[in-house]
Amino acid sequence: MSVPGVGGDQKAASSLRTLRVWDSPTRAMHWVLVIAIGVCWWTGENDELEYHHYAGYVALWVILMRVYWGFVGSSTAKFANFVRGPQTVFKYVRTLHLRNTPATLGHNALGAISVLVLLATALAVVVTGLFAVDIDVLYSGPLSMYVDFREGRWFARWHSTLFDVLLVVIALHLLAVAFYYAYKRQNLVASMITGRRKVAEASGEELQVAPVWRFAAGAVIVSAAVWVVTTGFFY
Amino acid sequence: MPSSVFTRVAGIALVLSVTATAIVTAAPADVAMIKSRQDKLRDMGSALKQIDDELKRRSPDWDNVIQPNVQILHDRSPFLQKWFPKGSGPEAGAKTYALPAIWQKGDDFAKHARGMIAEAAKLEQVFAKKDASELRAQVIALGKTCKGCHDDYRSPDYEKDAEQ
Ligand code: HEC
Ligand code: HEM
Repeated sequence: MSVPGVGGDQKAASSLRTLRVWDSPTRAMHWVLVIAIGVCWWTGENDELEYHHYAGYVALWVILMRVYWGFVGSSTAKFANFVRGPQTVFKYVRTLHLRNTPATLGHNALGAISVLVLLATALAVVVTGLFAVDIDVLYSGPLSMYVDFREGRWFARWHSTLFDVLLVVIALHLLAVAFYYAYKRQNLVASMITGRRKVAEASGEELQVAPVWRFAAGAVIVSAAVWVVTTGFFY
Repeated sequence: MPSSVFTRVAGIALVLSVTATAIVTAAPADVAMIKSRQDKLRDMGSALKQIDDELKRRSPDWDNVIQPNVQILHDRSPFLQKWFPKGSGPEAGAKTYALPAIWQKGDDFAKHARGMIAEAAKLEQVFAKKDASELRAQVIALGKTCKGCHDDYRSPDYEKDAEQ
């Protein structure tokens, strides 16, 4: 009688298994990006542009690392493993109203789109910030010397507009998480913190964890790249 | 009836031309002042940026890049206050980020303007030494006087608008 995978059911709970879904680099990057974007938001709106730059560089670092990890990271972090074609996405969307669909090991087909759109929008905000010109010149982005005043103001405007777009994308992301929690009884936030998820029965799929040295190697390269950018290539 | 069509067309034409005249005459000196001051302020921002950018290079071009831009800032700054006559605020009808406080706290606005004039004059003196790090410090000192005034008298809404 009991429906497997629905929380609160005693019989089902006893047969629940814990599965690793996210490795620690992916989780750490997620939460650092959340903090960095929050700090960028507050400092941008409250005219603390010096700290705004630092937080922006942290965001840039995380975004680049996440893209790198999307190619060489653990199985659930890899783009190749979760980015799917429109047909799969459409099929998945048609099951959205079902409450007891099994949780995917990593991102589901729709969540994959959210990852890509979030990363792309955040990157666009950062890149336009790098070229943005502040009217009193004190806190222009480090690459603003490669554009003239007018162009730099254009970047500043897009920086502001794209940030508003980012807020909308983040809001959709949070709504989706809330929907899974309330309707499908899947706590995606807890998984992003602990890296684990309870499943009714194992499908046999396991998280393939990438070696730490690979993350460290990427970190060295990405840190060097971000540092060079912050100097405006005048190192 | 052709005559009524004619009256109607004539009527519409009259209304249109009156409206057009009203728009043109509602765009008097104040609107022109807003446009022209924004142009001049952008030139000053551009000048400050060009000096700042040039000073990051290993061998800055003192005579062809820095000098003319120091000149722009030095020559224009004494006039800044005159670009904000009464009536050239938001009530003029053109897009402006000048806050009404400019005309309510005229003395304080003038103080900001004087601070900038002093630092712009100093910019010219420091320029004569052709010392990159000293001039850069002065660019920052001048930029702070610009920012000090913008923080109080320029609306932060400028980010939200599509133009400028
Ligand atoms: C005494 C006050 C004051 C000082 C000093 C000042 N500004 Fe401004 N500035 C303003 C105000 C007010 C506006 C908004 C004008 C408007 O929108 O009509 C403005 C606008 C600007 C703009 C935007 C123009 C546009 O709409 O595109 C630039 C660029 C600018 N200032 C540059 C500078 C620079 C560079 C300095 C220092 C060298 C400076 N300003 C010093 C008051 C000041
Ligand atoms: C995720 C990263 C970032 C976010 C979320 C972000 C967000 C913001 C926000 C909300 C503002 C205020 C806009 C407004 O007033 O409406 C702002 C302004 C600004 N940002 Fe960023 N930013 C980011 C990264 C960066 C980076 C990397 C730089 C360059 C180092 C940068 C440079 C600037 C500058 C120069 C301004 C002021 C523009 C002006 O005065 O017109 N930003 N940013």
